[in-house]
Parts: sequence; structure tokens; C-alpha cells
Amino acid sequence: MTVDDWLAAFAAELRRRRVEPAGLVAEAAAHLRDSGRAPLQVFGPPTAYAVSLVDSLRGATTELRRPPSGEPRLAAVRIVKRYGRSTVLDGVDLSVHAGEVVAIIGANGSGKSTMLRICAGLLTPDSGHVRIRGTIGYCPQEGGTADFLTPDEHYVLIGAGRGEPREQARERGRTAAATLDWPRSSGSPVARHLSGGTRQKLNLVLAGLGDPDVLLLDEPYQGFDNGSYLDFWQQVWRWRDAGKAVVVVTHRLAELDRADAVLDLTPRSPR
Amino acid sequence: MRGVLDLCVLGALARGESYGYEIAQRLEAGGLGSIAGGTLYPALLRLERLGLVVTDWRAGEGGPARKYYRLSPEGTATLKAAAADWAVFVGNVNAMMEVP
Repeated sequence: MTVDDWLAAFAAELRRRRVEPAGLVAEAAAHLRDSGRAPLQVFGPPTAYAVSLVDSLRGATTELRRPPSGEPRLAAVRIVKRYGRSTVLDGVDLSVHAGEVVAIIGANGSGKSTMLRICAGLLTPDSGHVRIRGTIGYCPQEGGTADFLTPDEHYVLIGAGRGEPREQARERGRTAAATLDWPRSSGSPVARHLSGGTRQKLNLVLAGLGDPDVLLLDEPYQGFDNGSYLDFWQQVWRWRDAGKAVVVVTHRLAELDRADAVLDLTPRSPR
Repeated sequence: MRGVLDLCVLGALARGESYGYEIAQRLEAGGLGSIAGGTLYPALLRLERLGLVVTDWRAGEGGPARKYYRLSPEGTATLKAAAADWAVFVGNVNAMMEVP
């Protein structure tokens, strides 16, 4: 890897994390010139170096935690759901305020997706109730896209359901897709020809169309590479800063630092 | 060791403002070994974000522009307090290691 190649790769990694590369690249180039040593020796691989600089710039993720300041957007009270003789949710409460991100965690089968579907109104609880103030965007774990429509057609279709004019829906969809590092492709393939990861990006873009107040996201990053995964969290934080209430179902414990609050559905006693 | 490196960088800057490569050389001359750029610059950014150092870009003598770092008043105060804490810590460790 030549110095120029390394610097170009480093700049690209900073850009995809939305950090202006000029200063950091110039400083690294000056250091390499002064020391006369190889970039991999001095800084290591460009991706890892970019990540550690971005962490230093933004501070530890815990600094992002803030107490909820907005009004309540979602209140689920004493939700109970049974499948046959098995009680999946046993009196679960969840409240999410505007400008807050809540992570729902728990073992497989602990009812994370069930809880989210109940909040979205797609599933009726056996008892308990959900109160939502505002509009909802929902991103399912899989499905949710139509095999024979192109991404643009999805934007128009979903946009229409939320009262957006054609052109505006298409523009917004494309803009949102660009922030998720959507691979550029020639032509416009229909959804069934997209990779799993790209289909999930489409799902995520659709959830945000029409500017909903509450976003319900069910492990929406399956098949994302690491860069897109970071882009996903940047998007979540942008939603939070815009005053949205965001719920993210996840099984990755490392993500808990990224959320303001956590709902753990792991059963406390064996059933 | 991250916290210690941050303090050593503040110490290096207490000897006068400087830029990245020269700071690395000061640390090495101070017996801290060779500090990789991959470790040094994240530390410098962290100190800048915390307001302990201030920076500006200036053209060097005949060379390209460089980013210069110098201690802010907060940085000077932090270094002073940390140096006192460190002396107490080292004293305690030394006392602990003395064979009675």
C-alpha cells in the first residue's frame, strides 16, 4: 500500500463517518513525510485509525446519554401476550419520549419482536393497552418490501400512503438511501434482485418516509457491513435529535451504550 | 495507559507549543519509547475536544502547513493537579514495594 493509497482510503473512511477529512489527512501526511515511515507502521489500517479518531472526536458513547426531555410519544401498559399455553409477555411496560432512543433486548424467543408488533398495532395483546401520540414508522426484521417493485416505486407507494407527492417521496427516499451508503448500481433492480443487506436499507428508508413521530425498528441492520452499521446508528441519532421517539429491537449487547434506556425482556424466572 | 499518555502529552506541551511529529519525538526523548501516530493523534483530538489544548494551522519554515498544539489554561491546571496526584501515587507504590 503506497502512502497515497493509504491516505485516499483513510479519507474515504472519514467521509463515510461524516467527518470532514481535509485536516486529519493533511496532518497524517505531514507526519508521514517527517518520519519517513510506512503508513501502516505509523497509523495501522486506515479503517481502524479512522474509527479511533472519530471516537476521540465524538467522545465516549456514554456522553450521548441524555435524560428524556420531550413529551411521551409511546406508552405501552401491562402488555400480556400468550401463544397457546406459553406466556411470552407478562405485564410489560414501555414508555418512550420524544427525543429518546430505547433498546429492547432479550434472549431469542423472549418476545422482542412480538412487543414491537404490538406497539405498531400489528398484533393485539391479550391484555394491556398501547397509546401512541403521533404517526408511526415501522421497520420489520424481514419482509416489508415488494419483490417486483424498484426502490423508487417503493418510495412513491409508501409516500402516497403518507400523503407525500410522487416527486417529493422519490427525492426523500433517494436522499435517505444515500446516507446509508447504498451501493450505486446501474439501472434500477427490483427488490428481489437486491442483496439482503440492501433490502434492509430499503426497509429502513421506508420506515422514515413521511417523517413519522415514532420509529419502531426490528433489528434493521441484518446483512449490513460494519460501515453501514455505523451509518445506521448515525441515522438513529439524527432521528433522536429531530425529536423522534425511537425503539430499536436488538440482540447485540454492545449497543446498549448507544441507547438512552433499555427494556430487557429476558424472563426473570424459568417458565 | 491511555490516561497516562494524555498526561504525558500535556507534559510535552508544557515545554512549548508543538505539532504531532515533534510531540512524538519529545515523548521518545523523554524515555517513553516510540509512540505510534495511531495512538498519539486520537489522544491529541481527545485533549482538544476536552478543551485542554488549543490548536491552529500554520505554515512551517518552508514546509507545508502544520497543526500546532498548545496548552489551554485548563490544560495547564489539569497537568498541575495530575502531577501532584501522580507524585502521591508513586510515593505510595514505592513505599509498598520497600522490603521491610
